[in-house]
Amino acid sequence: MQTKRRLRHASQAILLAAVLLLARAAIASGQNAPPTSPKEEAKNAEEFKEFLDRVQAYVNLHKTIASSLPALKPTALPEMIKAHEQALGRKIREARPHAKRGDMFSEKSQAAFRRAVRDEFRGLQGRLARKTIQQGEPLKEVHVRVNEPYADSLPFTTVPPTLLLRFPKLPDQVAYRIVGRDLILLDVEANLVIDSIHEIFPPAI
Amino acid sequence: MRKTSALLLSFVSIFFLAARADEFRFPLKSGSVRFAAIGDMGTGDTAQYEVAQRMVAARQNFPFEFVIMLGDNIYGGSTPRDFEKKFEVPYKPLLDAGVKFYASLGNHDNPNERFYKLFNMNEATYYTFKKGNVRFYVLDSNYLDAKQLDWLQKQLQDAGEGDWKICYFHHPLYSSGKTHGSSIELRSLIEPLFIKYGVDAVFSGHDHVYERLKPEKGIYYFVEGSSGQLRAGDLVKSSITDYGFDSDRTFMMIEITGDEMYFQTLSRAGNQVDSGVLRRPVRTPAPTK
Repeated sequence: MQTKRRLRHASQAILLAAVLLLARAAIASGQNAPPTSPKEEAKNAEEFKEFLDRVQAYVNLHKTIASSLPALKPTALPEMIKAHEQALGRKIREARPHAKRGDMFSEKSQAAFRRAVRDEFRGLQGRLARKTIQQGEPLKEVHVRVNEPYADSLPFTTVPPTLLLRFPKLPDQVAYRIVGRDLILLDVEANLVIDSIHEIFPPAI
Repeated sequence: MRKTSALLLSFVSIFFLAARADEFRFPLKSGSVRFAAIGDMGTGDTAQYEVAQRMVAARQNFPFEFVIMLGDNIYGGSTPRDFEKKFEVPYKPLLDAGVKFYASLGNHDNPNERFYKLFNMNEATYYTFKKGNVRFYVLDSNYLDAKQLDWLQKQLQDAGEGDWKICYFHHPLYSSGKTHGSSIELRSLIEPLFIKYGVDAVFSGHDHVYERLKPEKGIYYFVEGSSGQLRAGDLVKSSITDYGFDSDRTFMMIEITGDEMYFQTLSRAGNQVDSGVLRRPVRTPAPTK
């Protein structure tokens, strides 16, 4: 039992050392993504650009709609928070009645996201990313639909921070989330699913 | 060779007091910072209410001024009824007494909790606040993106040397909980910043147990994830554990005065689980060439 525990700690220490090296390199270089080749970076930048342009267009819509609602300020009344979340979500849905999967994650950008996920889940780093998701209570047998609210009762699976460093930075209004093996883009304030990439994550995470 | 800001940490002393609840005494010094810590509490179940009642009773002897919340504040939904049942009612006596709560987000929390005034998040999922000689850094460990990392680095960089630096967030960097355990990936990104900028203590939840870790790289770590939830028997004490408890719900009370941090952990039944005095590490800059 003792030996097993020691082995477990030793393997954790080795994994951590590897990740520390990667993370320190990223932090020390002032960049927020793990190192990639210049060629890869250029390709990613181009493929992510379309995605980011679409996200920006969405955020502009979000802002326009939000500005038509009474501004939400910190309140001691949870019903005000819920009412704002629901009203914003409803109005955005009405403004995008035909929203569907792929609206944000264009085909081109999906390839870049899939590549980033594939890189993340390789080798030692992949084991850690899997562990992060497992520790973050992954949602199994759950599917969410684009342009529908994220179910209030569902937890938010922890998104591996090193994966976030590989993805393009997002405006504050939206965030990446993981549901089962899908990556989703969520409007945080409206609690609304904006888009998703189906089965981007490897099985058994 | 570039200048290194590595710090040589030396603990002047660490001593723990094994005592019953009625034997441990907080110094209650004038100007000290007094607070409580709760994690994974927002179930709305009887156990949460009993812990809350115990906090109210304990406050008679130790008048803490605020409470830090280590995430999973509201389980299972974010309707007004949820806020009422899982926060407002159990902690009403504390709220009525003017005790402030400062929340961090767990994986069961709707990020829009940041708009809830009684959580004092001021619309942000990560933020900082200061009490006396203590600067608190509250992180969203469920979504640690580049923006948050940059923010943390800047905040720590800009902080003076004199204050205690305490970070708290949901996922523990070190934990011997069987269900979750240490968040190694998260640790790989933020621990280097904690070390570089002299964070003194870290509080987390997520594993539904109480654990005080042996100081790691000069930083004190606590897991307090059993203030509502409990996974009895989930703690597998290991080489990193200094003390652990997993057979009842708990909460912590802390007083910081000067370079000393007094803490006491009580169970739902009011028994002392752990207590002690931690001295702030003395940090000496490493010689540079």
